[in-house]
Amino acid sequence: MTANAFEVKSVSYHYEDAAGLDGVSLTVAAGEKVALLGANGSGKSTMLKILDGLILPNEGTVAAFGEKLTEETLNDEGFSKAFRRRVGFVFQNPEAQLFSSSVWEEIAFGPLHLGLEHDEIITRVEDTMHILGINHLKDRPPYHLSGGEKKKVALASVLAINPEVLLLDEPSAGLDPKTEDFLIHLISDLNRAGKTVITATQDLGIVPQIASRAIVLGEDHRLSGAGPAGEVLGDEELLRLANLVHYHAHEHDGLRHYHPHSHVEEHDHH
Amino acid sequence: MHIPDGYISPQTAGGLWALMVPVWYAAGNRIKRTLKARQAPLVAIGAAFTFIVMMFNVPVPGGTSGHAVGGTLVAVVLGPWAAVISVSVALVIQAFFFGDGGILAIGANCFNMAFALPVAGYYVYRLAAAGSPLSSFRRWAGAGFGAFAGINISAFLTATEIGIQPGLFHTANGTALYSPYGLSQTIPAMMLVHLTVIGFIEFAVTALAVAYLQRGHLELLGARATAAGGSRLKPLLVGLLLALIFVPLGLIASATAWGEWSPDQIRQRFGFVPRGMSRFAGLWQGIIPHYGAGGGFWSSTSGYFLSGAIGLAAALGLAFLVVKLIRRADRHA
Amino acid sequence: MPDQDPSKTAPPTGLPAWMGGARPATVMAAVPGRRRKDSAVQKTIEGIAAALKTSVFSEKIASRPGLLQKMDPRAKAVSLLGLLVAAALVRQPLILLGLYAVTTAAAGASRISLKFFLKRVWLFIPVFAGLIVLPSIFNVVKAGDPLLTIWNFGHEVRLGPWSLGTSIAITKQGLTGAAILVLRVAVSVSLAVLLALTTRWSDLLKALRVLFVPRVFILILSMTYRYIFLLLDLAAEMFTARRSRMVGPSSPREDRHFAAASIGTLLGKSHALSEEVYAAMVSRGYDGEPLSLRRFHMRGPDWLLALAAAAAAAAAIGADRLLG
Repeated sequence: MTANAFEVKSVSYHYEDAAGLDGVSLTVAAGEKVALLGANGSGKSTMLKILDGLILPNEGTVAAFGEKLTEETLNDEGFSKAFRRRVGFVFQNPEAQLFSSSVWEEIAFGPLHLGLEHDEIITRVEDTMHILGINHLKDRPPYHLSGGEKKKVALASVLAINPEVLLLDEPSAGLDPKTEDFLIHLISDLNRAGKTVITATQDLGIVPQIASRAIVLGEDHRLSGAGPAGEVLGDEELLRLANLVHYHAHEHDGLRHYHPHSHVEEHDHH
Repeated sequence: MHIPDGYISPQTAGGLWALMVPVWYAAGNRIKRTLKARQAPLVAIGAAFTFIVMMFNVPVPGGTSGHAVGGTLVAVVLGPWAAVISVSVALVIQAFFFGDGGILAIGANCFNMAFALPVAGYYVYRLAAAGSPLSSFRRWAGAGFGAFAGINISAFLTATEIGIQPGLFHTANGTALYSPYGLSQTIPAMMLVHLTVIGFIEFAVTALAVAYLQRGHLELLGARATAAGGSRLKPLLVGLLLALIFVPLGLIASATAWGEWSPDQIRQRFGFVPRGMSRFAGLWQGIIPHYGAGGGFWSSTSGYFLSGAIGLAAALGLAFLVVKLIRRADRHA
Repeated sequence: MPDQDPSKTAPPTGLPAWMGGARPATVMAAVPGRRRKDSAVQKTIEGIAAALKTSVFSEKIASRPGLLQKMDPRAKAVSLLGLLVAAALVRQPLILLGLYAVTTAAAGASRISLKFFLKRVWLFIPVFAGLIVLPSIFNVVKAGDPLLTIWNFGHEVRLGPWSLGTSIAITKQGLTGAAILVLRVAVSVSLAVLLALTTRWSDLLKALRVLFVPRVFILILSMTYRYIFLLLDLAAEMFTARRSRMVGPSSPREDRHFAAASIGTLLGKSHALSEEVYAAMVSRGYDGEPLSLRRFHMRGPDWLLALAAAAAAAAAIGADRLLG
C-alpha cells in the first residue's frame, strides 16, 4: 500500500475580494509526479500554498502524510519543523524567495532554520550548488543574478532541505530553452529518486516530462478534470473549457478555419 | 537632515546613542509581539521604502541636507514602533554603505528621523483620524499634517544638536571643534527650509499617498487601525516629549561632566554668543519682541533655543488647529 | 507601405478603424519647443541607479586580494569604530591629517585606486561640509581674530537689521575650525568607505553580531538592503512606463499626482511582496527566530589589525593632548 502524500477534501478558499478555490478534492500519492493545470487565476498557486500549510482553507480539510494541517498542528514546533523538512516549495516569483544577502546564505537558510548541524549544512550547500552548477555564484547578492540563475538558486534553496515533496509554481516561466530543459530533466531525476513532485503550470509543453498525472482547475476555481497526463492533454474540450488552449481563426481565401492552439509561451507573473 | 560624523561631538553622539538603545529595545519587543514572525519582512520592506524616499535629497544652506523621510507614512501603515525600526534600518544602511550620515552619528540621526519623526507624525494622524472611517478625508489630511509636524520636529532636533556644538566644544581662543554655527544660525536655517519647503513636500507625499491607498488599498490603512490604540501610544508620546525637553538639557549637563572646563567656565562659555551670531538677532525681532535687545536672557544660547522652540510650537499649534478644524468640518458634513 | 493614409487601409478584423495602418509622417515630426525635459525626480532615480551600480562595483573591490579584504570583518568593524572615535576626539588639524594619511595608505594596501578612493570619499560629503562651513571663516558670520582683512569699511555698516561691523575679514578661529571640520568629516567618511569597499555586505552584517546588534535587526538589515534594489527597479519601471506614454511636457499638477500614485503603488506592491517573502521564509522553517552560521575565524593577522588600529587610535588621542 502506498501512503498518500496529500489528501485534500472539498477545500474552499476565499480571498478578500475573490474566490481562490471552490470545493476542490484531490489526492497525491507519495512518489507521484503530478501537474496542476489551470489558467491565470484558476487557483493553482492557492492550492500549492494550502498544500504547504502557508494558508489554511476556509472550508474542507487538508492532510499531509496522514496528519491534518490545522492552525494547531502548524503552530506545534515539532510538527511544523518536521513538516517543513518534508515539503519544499519553490515560489513562482524568485524575488520573493531570494531574500538573503548572498547565494550561499540563501541556500543555507532552510537547513539552518530547520535545525541541521553546522557541518551538515555546509556539505549540503556545497553539494546543492554543485548539482545546479551555481558554485561560481556563491558570494553574489541575489539582485545581481539573471532570471535563469535566480530560478536555479531558488530551487537550490529548497533542494538543500532535501524534502520528500517538491511543490513547484510555474518552474519554466521566463526561462531560456536551455535552462528550462536543464530544470525539467532535474525535476524528473528527482522524481525517479523517489521525490513526490507537484508542479503548477499552464505550460502544456512541459507536462509530459514533469507529470504522469494531471489535475485541471477550471476558471470557476473548481476541479474540472483529472487523469493520466496523456489523456488530459488529449482532451481538447476539457483544456478549452479550462482556457488552457483556444482556437485561432485564420482566413484562407475568404474561408475561416479554426485550430486549437495552446498557451505554450504565455506565463502569468503574479 | 543626515548629520555626518564630525559635525557633532562624540559626547553628543554618544548621549543620543544612549537614548536610542532603549527605544530600539522597546520597539523590537513591541513589534515582536504585534507583528510576530512577520516583523522581519514587513519592517525590512518598510525600511527599503523609506530608504528610497530619503534618496531624494535637497541641500540646505547652513544645515546639512533636506529630504522627505516618509516615516509618518510608514507609521500610518505599519504602526509607529515598526516605523522606528524601519527608518532606523534605512539610516544604518545609508551610513554604512553610502556614507550618508555618520556612523557615530547614527544614534543622533535615528533619534531625529526614526524616533521623533514617525512618533510625532503618527500621533497627529491618530488625533485627526481617530474614529473616522478608513476612506475619510480626515485620514489623508491627518497623515499629511502629521508628516508636516514630524519632519519639522525632526529638523528642529537636528538644528539643536548641531547648534549647541560651538558653545560647548571649542578651544580656548574660540575655534569651533565641530560644527561652527550656533543655534541662532542652525535653527533659522533648518526651520525656514523645513517649515516652508520640505515640510510641504513631506505633507504632499504622505497625504497623496494615503489618498491613493484609500482608493486602491484600503486594507493597508486598516491593518493598524485596531492594533495600535491611543492608550498604548501614550507612553511612547510621553517618552518623546520628555526627550524633547531633556535632551538639550542633558546634552548641556553632560558637557559639564566631560570635565575639561570648570562648571563656571562652561556657564560662561555657554552663555557666550559670538558677536557675529547676535548680528542675526534682528531677524527674530519680529517674532519675539525685545528679543536680542540689550543682551540678557534672550541673546544667550538658551534664549535662542527657547525662541526656536516657541517658533516650532507655534507652527505645530497651527497644525493642530487645522486638524481640529478638519474634525469639526467632518462632523458637520 | 510607408506613409499610407490610414483610413484607406482596412485594419484586420476585430480592430477599430483608427488602429490600422501607419501614422501620417507629420505626427512623428519634432515640434519645436515642446521637447520634454526630464523631471528632477526622474534624474534622481537615474542618479540613484548609477550610485547603486558603483556599490555593486564595489563588491568587485571586496573580492580583490588586498590587505583589508583578507581581514576578518569583525576585526575591521572594531578597528573602524576605534579609529572613528579617535577621529572624533582629536582637536589638532595635524593629527587629523595624520589619520587621513593612515586611511589613504590602507586604501592603497587594499588595492583601491587612489583616484577612485579620493573621488568616492571627497565627492559630496566633505566637499559639501566645506561649502557649508565657508561662511563661518568670515568675521561677519562668526567673531574671531582677523587673519586677513578683505575690506575695511572704516565705519560700522548696517544692512537693514544686520550689522556687518567695520570690516570683512577671514578669522584665525574660523579658518582653523573649518579645517578641523572638513578634515574630521573626510577622515570619518574615509574610514566608513574603506570598510564598505573592502567588505562584502553579507560579511559586514555578520560582523555586526560582535557589536551586540540583535540577530533580528541583522536579518531586517540584510533583507532591506536586498529589497532596496527591487523597489528601485519597480520605481524606475514606473517612470519609464510613464515616459513612454507621455507626449508633451507634464504640468506640475500631473507630476504631483504621478509622484503620489507611484509612492502609493510602491507601498502597495511592497506590502504584497512582504507577504510573499514571509511565506517563502516560513516555508523554509523560519519561525521568527533568525539564526546565523559562523563562517569566520579570527586569525593572527586579524588580531594584529585590531591591535594596530587600537594603538593608532590611542596614539592619535595621546599626541593630540600632548600638542594641545
